[in-house]
Amino acid sequence: MNLLTSLFSLMIFPAGLALILSGLLYEWADRKLVARFQNRVGPRWFQPFADILKLLAKEEIKPSGLDSALFYGLPILALTGALTSALYAPILGLPPIHSFPGDLIVTLYLLSLLTISMGLAGWNASSRFSVIGATRSLTQLFAYEAPFLLALLGPAIAANSWTIRDVSAYAGSHWLILTQPVGFVIALIGLMGKLELPPFDAPEAETEIVAGALTEYSGRGLALFTLGKSVELVVAVSLVAAFYLGGIGNPLLFLLKTLGIVLLMSLLQALLTRLRIDQTVGLWWRFGALLALLQILVLILVKGWLA
Amino acid sequence: MTTETLLQRAAELLTPFTKDSARPESNRLDVAISANDLPAAAETLSNADWGYLSAITGMDLAPEADELEALYHFCDKAAVMTLRVRLPRAGRPEIPSISPQIPAAAFFERELGEMLGVTVVGTPDPSRLFLPDDWPEGVYPLRRDFKQEQAAPVETANRPEGGRVGNKFIVPIGPQHPALKEPGHFEFEVDGEVITGARMRLGYVHRGIEKATEERNWIQNLYLLERVCGICSHTHTSVYSQGVEKLAQVETPPRALAIRELVAGLERIHSHLLWLGVAAHEAGFDTLFMYSWRDRETVMNLLEELTGNRVNYSICVLGGVKQDILPEQAASIHQAIGYLEERIRYYLDVVSSDTFFLQRTRGIGTMTLDEAKRFGSLGPTARASGLRRDVRLDSPYGAYTRFPVSIVTDERGDLEARFAVRMKELLVTCSTIRAIVDNLPAGELTTRFPRKIPAGETVSRVEAPRGEVFYFIKSGGGESPTRLKIRTPSLCNWTSVLNKAVGHQLADVPMLIAGMDPCFSCNDRMVTVRGKKDSRSMTWSELREYGIQKYQGRR
Repeated sequence: MNLLTSLFSLMIFPAGLALILSGLLYEWADRKLVARFQNRVGPRWFQPFADILKLLAKEEIKPSGLDSALFYGLPILALTGALTSALYAPILGLPPIHSFPGDLIVTLYLLSLLTISMGLAGWNASSRFSVIGATRSLTQLFAYEAPFLLALLGPAIAANSWTIRDVSAYAGSHWLILTQPVGFVIALIGLMGKLELPPFDAPEAETEIVAGALTEYSGRGLALFTLGKSVELVVAVSLVAAFYLGGIGNPLLFLLKTLGIVLLMSLLQALLTRLRIDQTVGLWWRFGALLALLQILVLILVKGWLA
Repeated sequence: MTTETLLQRAAELLTPFTKDSARPESNRLDVAISANDLPAAAETLSNADWGYLSAITGMDLAPEADELEALYHFCDKAAVMTLRVRLPRAGRPEIPSISPQIPAAAFFERELGEMLGVTVVGTPDPSRLFLPDDWPEGVYPLRRDFKQEQAAPVETANRPEGGRVGNKFIVPIGPQHPALKEPGHFEFEVDGEVITGARMRLGYVHRGIEKATEERNWIQNLYLLERVCGICSHTHTSVYSQGVEKLAQVETPPRALAIRELVAGLERIHSHLLWLGVAAHEAGFDTLFMYSWRDRETVMNLLEELTGNRVNYSICVLGGVKQDILPEQAASIHQAIGYLEERIRYYLDVVSSDTFFLQRTRGIGTMTLDEAKRFGSLGPTARASGLRRDVRLDSPYGAYTRFPVSIVTDERGDLEARFAVRMKELLVTCSTIRAIVDNLPAGELTTRFPRKIPAGETVSRVEAPRGEVFYFIKSGGGESPTRLKIRTPSLCNWTSVLNKAVGHQLADVPMLIAGMDPCFSCNDRMVTVRGKKDSRSMTWSELREYGIQKYQGRR
C-alpha cells in the first residue's frame, strides 16, 4: 500500500504527469503573456503540448564524436532532477508529499541539476555554439545561484527551519514579501536567471550562438530538456509563492498567486533587453548577492534583537 | 569650396603624375596616370584629405583597344575625380594596391581582381569576394571575350570551416545561420568571449547584374536594376534613371523629380524602421522588434497605395515617373506620416533612454571621425561618427534643391549614436515628405525619351538609406550600356565592421553587424541556375518522395 501511494505520488500526482501538464500550461501562460505584451497574437493553449508531442515523435539525431551515455543520459537526469524536487515543494498550494529537515537545500540543488546537465550536454557536444552556450550557462549558474539561495534562506531564517513544509506553514501567517521585499525581488529575478528567460537568455542567445548548449539536441532529448524547464518553472514559482506570498492554503488562491508571479516575469521579459554574460555576472555579484546578504544580515540582527 | 575649386585643387595635387586629363562633365575630372604612380597618387590625395575613394570600376576596352582600364573614382562634395589607369589585356596584368594608403580600397580591389583578371599586388586579401568557390580559375566574367560556357563549375574541396587554433575557436557565421538571416560568411576568431580576428566572404547571392545590363536595352535595365536590392529598390531605379537622363541630355519634369524624392523618403522610413527592428532583435529586445515592424506596415501600405507595390515600386521610368500623387492620396500620406512621426519620436526616446538597451549600445563599436574617414564609411554609419557625408546635401540631385533636407550627425560614433542618427533622420524625412506633398510642382510626369543614348560616360550618385550609391554608366551610343558599375554603400561599410569587431565580445558581433545596416543583396547581385549535376528544381511531391527514399535508404 505504501509502495502504491509512493508510486502514485511519484508518477501521477503531485510529481509526474500532473506536474508535467501544469508545467506546460504555465509555459503557455508565459508565452501567451509575452506575446500579448509584444503586440503579437501568441500561441493557443495546447501549443506547448503539441511542441512536446512533435519533438517526442521526431527522430533524435546523435552527432558523431561525442559520448553516447552522456548524450542520452543527461536529458533524463535533467528531467528527473526537476521532477524529484517537486516531491518536497508545495505544488498547487498543497503541503509537500515528503519532508525531512534540510529539504530546502536538497530541493534547490535538485533544481540546479537541470542547468548542470545542460552545461554538461553542451560540453559533451563538438559544436562551438554548444560549448560557448555551456560556458555561458555555467557562468550564469555561478552568478544567480548564491543570491537565489540566500533569497530563499531569508524566510527559512525567519521561520527557524530549513524544512520547506515548516517555512511554508510559518509564511502562511506572515506575508514575508512585506518584511523581506528585497528577498522577493531577488528570488523572482533569480528564477528568471535559472530558467534562462530574457534578459538572462545569453546562454541561448539565438542571434549569437543559435540555441546554446542544446544546439545539437533534437527529438526526444530536446523534449526532455524542455519538459525539465517547464517543471522547474512550476516548482520554483510554487516555492517563491509559498515562501513570500502567504504560504500554502487554498489551491485556487495559490494558483492565482503563482500566475501573478508568471505575469510579473513575462512583463520583465518583454521589457528588458538581453544582457551580455559579463553584464549578467556583474549585475548579480555587484547588486544581487550584496543585497541578499544585506537582507540576511538585517534579518539576523532583527531576530537577535527581538529575542 | 565650390566644385570648381575642388577639381582645380585635385588637378594641382596630381600634376606630378598626370599623363593626360579631361573634364567630361562640369563636376568631373579625369586624370590618366600610369599604374606605377597609383600608390603615390592615392597617398597624395589621402594626405591632402581630398575626398574619399568611392568606387573602383574595371573595364575591358576590347574590341576597340587591346587594353583594360581601372577607374578609381574619388568623390569630394559634388566633385568626382577619376584616376584612369590603363593595363595590358594579355594574361593577368598587375596593378599595385592602394590599400596601404586607403584601407577602404581592399574590397574594391578584391572585386577588380576576380572580375577582370587583374593581379592587385599587395592587397591584404586577394581571395574571392563575390565569385563562387567552384568558379573555374582564369575565367573573368567582365572580360569581353567571356562566354557563358566557360563558367562550368569545377570540383572543389569543401572549404575548411571553423576549427581550433590553440586556445582560440573560429566561429563561422553564415551563409546559412540562425543568427544572420542574410547570406554572408564571416569567420570570427574568438578567445573565450573576445574576438581576436575577423574575415568575410560575400557573393552567395551574386547575380552578375553588372554583366547582364550589357545585354539588355536601356529600358529593360530599369526593371533589372530595381531588383538589385529588395529594400532600396527605388534608389537603384532613380540613380540609374538620373544617370541615363544625364547621358541622353533629357530634362526630367520637376513634378516627376519631386515624386521621386517623395518615394525615396518613404523608402527611407521603411528601411530604417526595418533596420530598427532587426537591430533590436539582435540585441535581444524583441518587443521593440515587434512594435517597429508593426508600425512599418503603415508606410508599406502607403507605398502600396501610391505605387501599387510594396517592394519594387516601379515608379521610376526613364525621363519621369509612372504615377501621379492624387489629392486623396496626399491626404492619406499626411495621415500616415503624422502617425509615423509620433511613433518615431517614441522609438527615439526608447533607444536613447532604456537603461538595459543602452547597456548593449552605449560605447559599443565606437568609431572616431578619423577612423570613419579612413575606413571610407558612408551613410548613417559615417554620420553617427560626425562625418558629414550625404549626397543629398553634398551634391543635391533631382528635387533636393527644391526640397532640401537637413543633415543629422552625432559625434559619439557608437551604436547608440547610430540608432539616434537614423531615428532623427526619419523625423527630418517626415517633414520633407510633408513639404513635398503640400508643394508638389505642377506639370508633366514624363518626357519623351530616346531609344539610343549618345556615347559618353557619366557618374550618378544618390543617397540610399544606407549611404551613397554610386553608378558609373558608359554608353557606346547604342541601345544598351557598354559598362555599368554599381557600388552600394554596404560594401564600403564592411571595412569598419571587420576592423571594429576585433577586441569586442562575441555577444556584440550581431549588434555590430546590424549597426551598419548591411544589405547583402545589393552587395552581391546574381544568380543563375547553372548546369551542375546535382542541382535541380523539384516539385513538392518530388521533394517528399526524395525525402522518403533517402530516409529508407539509410535505414
